[in-house]
Amino acid sequence: MLSQRRNQDEKTGNFFSFGRGNLQMKKLSFRIWLFIIILLISLLSIFVSPYGFTLFQKGVLIVSVEQNSSSFEAGLRQGQIITAIDGKSIANIADFSNYIEEKFPSEKAVKTIITTKDSDIILYSNNAPNITVSNIPKTSIKTGLDLSGGARALVQAEGKELSSDEINDLVSITKNRLNVYGLLDINVKAILDLSGNRFMLIEIAGATPKDLRSMIESQGKFEAKIGNDTVFIGGDRDVASVCRNDATCARIETCQQDSSGRSYYCKFIFTIYLSEDAAKRHADITNTIDVNATNPEYLSKPLELYVDDELVDTLLISRDLKGQVTTQIAVSGSGTGETQDDAYKAAEENMHKLQTILITGSLPYKLEIAKLDTISPLLGQNFVKYIIIAGIAALISASILIFIRYKKLKQSLTVILISLAEILIILGIAAIIDWNLDLASIAGILASIGTGFDDQIVILDESLHKSSQSLKQKIKNAFAIIMGAYFTVLVSLLPLMWAGGGLLKGFAITTIIGISIGVFITRPAFGDILKRMED
Amino acid sequence: MEEQQNQEINKKNWHDKHYKTLLLIPIALLLFSFVYMGIFYSQHHDFFLKDISLKGGTSVTINGNLDTPSLKNALIDKFGEVNIRKISNFVTGEQIATVVETTANAEDVKAFLEDYLGYELIEGENSSFESTNASLGKSFYNQLLIAILVAFVFMAIVVFILFRTFIPSCAVVLSAFADIFMTLVTVNLLGIKMSSAGIIALLMLIGYSVDTDILLTNRVLRRHDETTLNQKLLSSFKTGVTMSLVSLIAVFVALLFVKSFSSTLDQIFTILIIGLVFDIFNTWVTNVSIIKWYVISKEKSG
Repeated sequence: MLSQRRNQDEKTGNFFSFGRGNLQMKKLSFRIWLFIIILLISLLSIFVSPYGFTLFQKGVLIVSVEQNSSSFEAGLRQGQIITAIDGKSIANIADFSNYIEEKFPSEKAVKTIITTKDSDIILYSNNAPNITVSNIPKTSIKTGLDLSGGARALVQAEGKELSSDEINDLVSITKNRLNVYGLLDINVKAILDLSGNRFMLIEIAGATPKDLRSMIESQGKFEAKIGNDTVFIGGDRDVASVCRNDATCARIETCQQDSSGRSYYCKFIFTIYLSEDAAKRHADITNTIDVNATNPEYLSKPLELYVDDELVDTLLISRDLKGQVTTQIAVSGSGTGETQDDAYKAAEENMHKLQTILITGSLPYKLEIAKLDTISPLLGQNFVKYIIIAGIAALISASILIFIRYKKLKQSLTVILISLAEILIILGIAAIIDWNLDLASIAGILASIGTGFDDQIVILDESLHKSSQSLKQKIKNAFAIIMGAYFTVLVSLLPLMWAGGGLLKGFAITTIIGISIGVFITRPAFGDILKRMED
Repeated sequence: MEEQQNQEINKKNWHDKHYKTLLLIPIALLLFSFVYMGIFYSQHHDFFLKDISLKGGTSVTINGNLDTPSLKNALIDKFGEVNIRKISNFVTGEQIATVVETTANAEDVKAFLEDYLGYELIEGENSSFESTNASLGKSFYNQLLIAILVAFVFMAIVVFILFRTFIPSCAVVLSAFADIFMTLVTVNLLGIKMSSAGIIALLMLIGYSVDTDILLTNRVLRRHDETTLNQKLLSSFKTGVTMSLVSLIAVFVALLFVKSFSSTLDQIFTILIIGLVFDIFNTWVTNVSIIKWYVISKEKSG
């Protein structure tokens, strides 16, 4: 009985150890696991965006909702996905605008049911919802300006070298201004290039604002003068606050046809609040001015508003204000246009500009645009398609050549698969670090895939080489070559990180990421896969 | 079978006899390149012709189908030197845009084009504008030249650290230099105007050209097995040429697809193809001869 049991134990023991041995043979090496895990993480980061898995999702994405609008109050928020309106399914931006344009504006308030992914939202209005939408991004890979459209400017001070503090001030003022203009998707930063020049780089995704050049270049020097005395200037030292987006204190007042009858002009008016210092200055200056003899309601000298040394408006000063410390001042101006609509829009635009420079103050120097690119998104979409086709064609033709050379189907297929995986990992990392892929970055991906192919050939070739060395030793030999080549490419890319105002950084970074992934992740895995094939 | 082996031995014997003489070819080519570049530099005061991204100017892409020849004539009358090309759909061949490049500034070109076309060009919608002012172009150019120089020096340092032997390291650096230099001469002979993308391609060439040289040097100096020098050379030749051919075919196929729509990628790929061809030559003639000479003379003295 006892002995029998011992026998059984031995049997099970044997069975287990046999099993373990088998398991070990099949177990994937650490390098292959690492490769698989990183590939999976990359796939996740590419295909799962903040809006979930959207590859096959139909609908439109809400990019922005006007604050305090009826749409906002009804519960529409940025980031929601609209799938249907009034029960009619919305697949893309064309569906959306067709439907909305047909329905709005309507005579009276109508009910609109907006179906989002999570809920139904009901609006009553005679105007279209105050939202902007876009097609849903299918992946979380972002493309650069040259592919997705937008504007980019490199800006310098005219005839002046800016210090690092000055350029940082410039960046924050410009950011402020562009925000006041209502531009959302903007990126402004200071750049130092290889020759020590400092630039401000402005990138605006999507549509290019119409007067971008003047918007960036305008120095925005605001002065309010009585005679030759400056009462106050733009910026928060003199102007405590500026009313905007509030119809009670900032509005377009009257629109009229001008005397010639050929054009219209509209007047705008908004309130600003002066700082104590500026208000006191106003009191001191007005105190010395007499009352107008012909028009006794007002003082004899007006308040004149200058923007960049150009007179934009003349305001008569009421006699009650003489010598008074007033902090509240109404600023006015106008806009003209061929039609009343145009004049209204021009007045709105001018009001916006004036408000902006009153808030942000002026720059102490003139700006010069060294480079301005405004790219239409239309061609970029085609580019991406062609680049994918070109990449696949290149990959297939290279693989055919490898197959012809080595006549090993399994190994040749592995080379293609590993290269494909490498592209996915590069894209995954680009998605994780929020990198915008531009044409230069794509060239970088191609470059690293090219070196990847070369490296795999070296490994394949070493491993097939007939010699007394073990496969492990052969793969080690291959890695000596690969690492050497890796370091030479790595160091040769470093200068590009800074050269040319950083515009070629995309190439340098993607290539460095690409070749590093290759050398540290995919190539070791490839070596191990070859070993397994040998076994 | 025996005949084949004999042939192979004969072939190797031929190389054993003539490998030093073979070095005359790269020397002659390099001499020609230096003389050509000397003349080129004295004529243009530069190492290559620059496009507007390095010289300053404006590139306008007008969406849609246009009659390019008559537009070109009108532009030449107004602005002098003008470059114009079409972007067409790869499948249907239908023209989807026209690219105009001039050294004039964006406002002037825009005003002229709007006048010529009779409609407003809305930047970023029906057209794309890319303008660089002359001083920025010049500064880009200078920096990229420095970048190439620094990259080359860095590469050379790594090669010397890798092999720690003077002559073989020099051979690698020399053949990388010859690659880039000969490629540049060919670019000039073809009259290609270099953009900043072209300079990127030259940088990529540094990487592409040294990897076959590193392979060769590594096999010859580091592989300690029973194989002879000629066998090592032959085996690395087979690997290296496969690498270069695979890269060549991949780049060539990619070029066919992108040529019609992206001047950036077109230029990168064209320069890479030229460079890869010179790389095959410089690795398997220049570098092989030098390293063979080095190993044989070392064996004799040692």
